[in-house]
Amino acid sequence: MNEASAVEPVEVPGFPRQLPGPPVVPPVPVAPRGPVAALGRAMGTFTGRALGRHQAAVVRIGFGLVWLAYLLREWPNRRVLYGDRSPWSMELAQRLLADDGAFTVLPWFGGRLWFELVYHLAVLAALAVLLGWRTRASTVLFLVTVLSLQNRDVLLGDGGDNVVHLMAVYLVFTRCAEVWSLDARRVGPGRSGVVLWALLGAALAICQAGDFSGDSLTWTAPTFPHIGWAPLFWGLWAVAGFWWLLGRLRPAGEPRAVLDALANMVHNCAMLVIATEVVLVYATAGWYKVQGSRWQDGTALYYPLHLDYFTPWPALSGLVGSALLPVFLISYATVALQVAFPFTLMNRRVKNVLLAVMMAEHLGIAVVLGLPVFSLAMVAADAVFLPTGALLWAAQRLGRLRRRLVGAP
Amino acid sequence: MTGTTDRAAPGRVWSGPAQLVLGLAAAVLVSGTGLFLAAVFLHVAPDNVLSRQYRDEVDGVVYPEFEQNWKLFAPNPLQQNVSLDARVRTVADGGATRTRDWIGLTARDIAAIRGNPAPSHVDQNLLRRAWDFYDGSHDPQDEKPTSSRGRLAEQYLKRIALQRIGREVGGERVLEIEFRVTTATVPPPSWSGETGPSAPKVRELPWWPVGDEDYRGLG
Repeated sequence: MNEASAVEPVEVPGFPRQLPGPPVVPPVPVAPRGPVAALGRAMGTFTGRALGRHQAAVVRIGFGLVWLAYLLREWPNRRVLYGDRSPWSMELAQRLLADDGAFTVLPWFGGRLWFELVYHLAVLAALAVLLGWRTRASTVLFLVTVLSLQNRDVLLGDGGDNVVHLMAVYLVFTRCAEVWSLDARRVGPGRSGVVLWALLGAALAICQAGDFSGDSLTWTAPTFPHIGWAPLFWGLWAVAGFWWLLGRLRPAGEPRAVLDALANMVHNCAMLVIATEVVLVYATAGWYKVQGSRWQDGTALYYPLHLDYFTPWPALSGLVGSALLPVFLISYATVALQVAFPFTLMNRRVKNVLLAVMMAEHLGIAVVLGLPVFSLAMVAADAVFLPTGALLWAAQRLGRLRRRLVGAP
Repeated sequence: MTGTTDRAAPGRVWSGPAQLVLGLAAAVLVSGTGLFLAAVFLHVAPDNVLSRQYRDEVDGVVYPEFEQNWKLFAPNPLQQNVSLDARVRTVADGGATRTRDWIGLTARDIAAIRGNPAPSHVDQNLLRRAWDFYDGSHDPQDEKPTSSRGRLAEQYLKRIALQRIGREVGGERVLEIEFRVTTATVPPPSWSGETGPSAPKVRELPWWPVGDEDYRGLG
């Protein structure tokens, strides 16, 4: 599946297998000037490298962790939330699904057994995504299970679920296991990939052929852009098989390199989508706030701190909202930060400072408003903008800490 | 990195057919990504001339899987505490009915959230958002559904309450259920100089009959 990452020399900073050496920079030929040459260079970067692979890995780890933690936390409540005991009965769910056409495999069989299977598959998929195990397959299972559970009752979710939902789709298209993953540490392609590929192909064929899947695995869709789910799943499956085959037959040939370049391009587009999504979150949150009278009069922060559903610690909330000046400053700073964020991307240093402040604000929201899943999902999404240097530094520190704990040389 | 490896490197020299494939793929990917992001942008932006012009296309791309709403605490943060109570009418074996006391459904949610570092969606979102769904699909004057989803919202709300109340109250079978919604505006901070809000508003929903089928699957 993710054969390419195994071919590349393993670069895992901070892990004991290999000491981080100076990065291998391919020799850059002296480039001619002019717009055509510039376009050529842009194309070279677009096809030649998976940009931001450390950021992609952190986003992958972040969302795997958030969804895994959520599923484990809700494990005792799973049947009421998404299963056979839900007040949003399967009959109600199907009436809404017939209307909006959202993707979920849960109505296929309906019963408890099928639900338990999907829920626990979701746990395994989240764990595999977190660890970066067979990521080409596990991100797809992650997508299927996240959408299946969330679309079973769309009325349950909040902003955090919404971010996880979107990222579950986008992550499928990234090469997010190039670093800091089990895939990157594997030597040689291994056997499990082929087995997994065959199993998933068979499972997909059964679902496609069986009547139970209804209209969820169609090739076309009635509305624009007229693409169903079948082309995506079969396409990914076919590409994975083709990739493996070329690796066996002509590992040094150009077709294999073309596939590699295509994967880079898809990755780079997906990373652009993820980054833009984060910008849109902050930009809309900020721009709509500018119009709000409470944000204008500087008391906005006070109100969420006095909503019963978002005050797990009323004394703490009361304290934070107790005085005029801090409430005013935090309210105004929040709007300023969110509105400014897209523009700070043009300056690395300012961007990094703002990012740190936003992450801190989200950690504050996690505790004070009792929204840990939402906040951690936002922090994971923010991570796409973290500088590579900071990520490598953090990884090295973690690696050192791990070595000290494990006691390895 | 030369032409003999299987990796695409920035300086690599491609053959003609490879250039064609990569060029076409780049064109498709770049334009596809651009159009997708444009659709998402028009979806989250305020209603405008462009999004009205391309409403069907934008909705087609965004719904159902890319729907999003980032008006978090905007334009104004929510300033109301909405709390739901329910009471039931029960019937004894002899046929005598009795109206029971109000049960604080929201109060139970709040009690579960207090002191909990990771509140469950069952306590924080289930009832709260079910009420939003009902409220958004009903006319507050006569409690009649204003959209086709209104009936779904009624069923949902009823089943959430019944799951928490059970089939029997005080040993008698539940016959009917009624909801009461109290909306209290959060009083402005003392240092803001604003006057306090008006008294909480109470809205009572009609009695709804409860049948065996309403309990299906509730456990």
